[in-house]
Amino acid sequence: MRWWRSGASPGPDRHLDPSLLPGQPVLLARLQDLIAWGRKHSLWPLNFGLSCCYVEMATSLTSTFDIARFGAEVVRGSPRQADVMVVSGTVFVKVAPIVKRLYEQMLEPRWVISMGSCSNSGGMYDVYSVVQGVDSFLPVDIYIPGCPPAPHAFMECLVLLQEKVGAQRRPLSWIAGPQDVQPLVMPSRRDALRERRTAQADYPAMDTLPLTDAIWRRPGERRPGENSPRTKPPSGT
Amino acid sequence: MLEQMPVWTELRRRFDAASLTGQETRDAIPTFWVPPERSLEVLHYLKEDIAQPYRMLYDLSAIDERLRQQRGGQPASDFTLVYHLASFGRNEELRVKVPLRGLSPSASSITDLWPNANWYEREIWDMFGIVFKGHPYLRRLLMPTTWNGHPLRKEHPARATEMGLFQLPEEKQENEQEALEFRPEEWGMTRTNKDAGFDYVFLNLGPAHTGTHGVLRLVLQLEGEVIRDIVPDIGFHHRAAEKMAERQTWHTYIPYTDRVDYLQGVLNELPYVLAAERLAGIDVPERVQVIRVLLCELYRLANHLVWYGTFAQDVGALSPVFYMFNDRERIHNIMEAVCGARMHPNWFRIGGVAHDLPDGWDSLVRQFLSYFPKRLDEYDRLVMKNPIFRGRTVGIGAYTTDEAMEWGVTGPGLRATGCQWDLRKQRPYSGYDRFDFDIPVAHRGDSYDRAVVRIEEMRQSCRIIQQCVDTMPAGPYKSSHPLSTPPLKERTMHDIETLITHFLGVTWGPVLPAGEAAVPIEGAKGQVSYYLISDGTQNSYRTRIRTPSFPHIQMVPYISRGHLLPDLVAILGSVDFVLSDVDR
Repeated sequence: MRWWRSGASPGPDRHLDPSLLPGQPVLLARLQDLIAWGRKHSLWPLNFGLSCCYVEMATSLTSTFDIARFGAEVVRGSPRQADVMVVSGTVFVKVAPIVKRLYEQMLEPRWVISMGSCSNSGGMYDVYSVVQGVDSFLPVDIYIPGCPPAPHAFMECLVLLQEKVGAQRRPLSWIAGPQDVQPLVMPSRRDALRERRTAQADYPAMDTLPLTDAIWRRPGERRPGENSPRTKPPSGT
Repeated sequence: MLEQMPVWTELRRRFDAASLTGQETRDAIPTFWVPPERSLEVLHYLKEDIAQPYRMLYDLSAIDERLRQQRGGQPASDFTLVYHLASFGRNEELRVKVPLRGLSPSASSITDLWPNANWYEREIWDMFGIVFKGHPYLRRLLMPTTWNGHPLRKEHPARATEMGLFQLPEEKQENEQEALEFRPEEWGMTRTNKDAGFDYVFLNLGPAHTGTHGVLRLVLQLEGEVIRDIVPDIGFHHRAAEKMAERQTWHTYIPYTDRVDYLQGVLNELPYVLAAERLAGIDVPERVQVIRVLLCELYRLANHLVWYGTFAQDVGALSPVFYMFNDRERIHNIMEAVCGARMHPNWFRIGGVAHDLPDGWDSLVRQFLSYFPKRLDEYDRLVMKNPIFRGRTVGIGAYTTDEAMEWGVTGPGLRATGCQWDLRKQRPYSGYDRFDFDIPVAHRGDSYDRAVVRIEEMRQSCRIIQQCVDTMPAGPYKSSHPLSTPPLKERTMHDIETLITHFLGVTWGPVLPAGEAAVPIEGAKGQVSYYLISDGTQNSYRTRIRTPSFPHIQMVPYISRGHLLPDLVAILGSVDFVLSDVDR
C-alpha cells in the first residue's frame, strides 16, 4: 500500500488545505489501497477441517508457530464471518455437498486454500469415496502440497495469499466504478523460486536435526553441520 | 491344534459335528464355521451359557469369497460373516464364521444379543449388500444414501478415476442436501410428546462443528436442554482404507495405515505389520521390537496430548491446549529426527523398521524425558484440579464395566470403569513383557475418570520410553527372513540375489503365503487390529480394520441420554476419537 503521513504543517501533499486538517498528523492513502491492506492483514479462517491436515492447521495456531503474527488467528465458527476457507483434508463424496454449502454461505470477498494432497488432487486416495481434487467444484486460490503439509508450509501459503489479496482490486461501491474483480494471476512457485534454487550452493548436511529443533536451543547455540546461520548470534553470548 | 483348545471341546459337547467346522489360521485365534441356521444359537451359547463367556463382540465383518482361490477346505460360501468375540475371563478371542450363499444373501440380526452389532450390521449391508433380518433400521452407514452399489463387493470399482469425473451441479447439490435431511419418523422417533404436551427440538450438530472433532454429524432430540436421544450420522470421513488394501501390495499399504487414526502414527502400523509377519512367519530381532515399542509409546504420548488439550478446550479451558501442543511439537521433533515425518511416519516394515535410529537419538529422547513428566504435574494443577473442569466432567457420561463390554469399549474407556485390561500386559506383543510398567485404572467410568486414566498412562509411557533408552539392544533393524520387505540394504549392495528380492519387493510386492491372521494391539484409543486374508498373492484378498473409535462413538447416544446439551461436548471430548478411525 502506498501511503503518506501529513505533518501538522503543510506536508508533501500540496493539494491539501492544511486548515482542513486537525492538529494531529493524519494518514493519507487511496481508499482502495487501504481496504486491500486491511483485508490482507485480517484474513479470518473458517473453523472447518476435514482430516489429518486440519491437525497441522490447528498446530499453526499454537504458540510454536503462532499464526497470529499474520493476523489470521481469528478462527470463525460461522461461514458468514469468515474470509478464507482452508479445505484441510480429504474431500469425500459424502462431504462435498457440505463443503460447497459452507462456501456458498461465506460472504464476498472470500478465498479458498486447498491444503494437502488429498484436497489438491485426491492424493494417495484414488478411491471410490474420495473427490479427486476440491477444485472440481470450488475455485481454489492457493494449493499447498504435502501429506500433511507442515504448519510452516501452511503459513507460507497464507503469506502468499496475503500478497494476492493485498494486490487485488475490487469495486468499492455497487454504483460507481467498474464492477468486476480484477483478476490476478499468480506465477507458479516453481518459476518464482527457480533463480534462488539454481543459485543455492550451500546445503545442510544430511544428518542435521530439523529446523524446528530450535525449540530446544539456547540462544545462539548451533548444531554441528550448520555452517551458515542466517542470523548472527548476538555478541557476548 | 484347534482340537486341543478347551473352547473346541466345550462347543463339541454342546453342538453336533455337522454344525461346527474348524479352520486353522495363522494367528492363535480359534476359528469355527457354523451354518447360518445354527449361528444365533451358537453365538447365544458363547455369550451367555458357556463357562467364562465371550462377552464382547469385538468385531463383526464380512468377506466376499467369490474370487478367492485358496480357501483350504473351508465350507462353500459366497459371502462369509465373521463374528470376532473376546472373552476377558479366558484372555482369549474367537472367530465364528457363517457362510452365506447367493448374490443377495441374508442373515439373522444379532442386535438383540449385542447392542453394538447394530452399526456393524449396517456397515456390512452398506459395504456388501447383506441383509440382516430383524435389524431395527437397516440403512447405509458410511456411504451417502444416494450411492449405488456396495463398495467392498469385488465387482465394485476401487478407483474414483474408473467411475467418471466428479461434478457437483446445482441439481445434484440440492438432491444431496435433501437426502441429508433428518426425518425423526424414519428412526422411530416422535416429534411431539403427546402425554406431556410439548414438542421436541431436533438439533443438528455437525458435520461442520467445532465440538465434534471432525466431520461427525449428530442429530439431537432435545427436551429443553436435556438430551433425550441422539442419532449419529457417520461416513463423512470414509477413506475406503479396506478397499485400498486389496489394491496396494502388502508393502505399499503401510502408509495408508498411518492415516487410519491420524493421531497415533506408528500405532496403526504395528498391528498391520504384526499380522503380516504372522502370515509370513517372520520373527523380528530384539532391537526391532524395542525400536517399535519406543516409537509406539512416543506416539501414544502425542495422541494423548492432543486429546488432553482439546478436551480441556471443549469444556472451556482455552490455554492448556497451547501448552500441550508445544509438548507434542517436542515429540514431533524426535520423530522428525528418526523418520523425517511428523504425523505419518510410514516407518515400520514387514520384518523390521525402515532404518536404524539416527546418531544421537538417545540424547533427544532423554532431553524429552527430563522435561515432560514435570509438565504433567503442572497440567494436573492447571486442568485436573480445576474446579470448573471437575464440575463439567465428574459424573458425566458414566458407564460400568458390564456396559462397556456390551458395547465393545476397549482402551482407557474400559480401564476407567475399573477393569484392568491392557493387551500390553494381558497378551504381550512386540516384547512388551520385558518392560516394567503399571496399568492405571479408575473406578467411576465417567468423563473425568477417562481423563485420569489417560494422564497416568502418559506417565507409564514415559517409564517405558526410559527403559527403551536404557536397554536398547544392539543388532540389526530388520529380520533376515526372505520376506522382509525391503531386505537389509547392506546386503542388497553385496549380492545380486538380495538385490533382485529388493527390486521385486518394492515393485511387484512380496508374496505372503495364503492364510489369515490378526494381531490385536493396545492402541492409543483402544484395541486395534488388522484381520488380513492372503490368497497367496502380492496384495491382501481382504483386510478388515477393527478400530476402537467406531464402537466408542456408537455408544455415545447411550451414555448421553438424560444429560444436558453442554455435557455432550464433554462426553465427546472424553471419549477421544477421530473420524478417520470411525469411518476408515
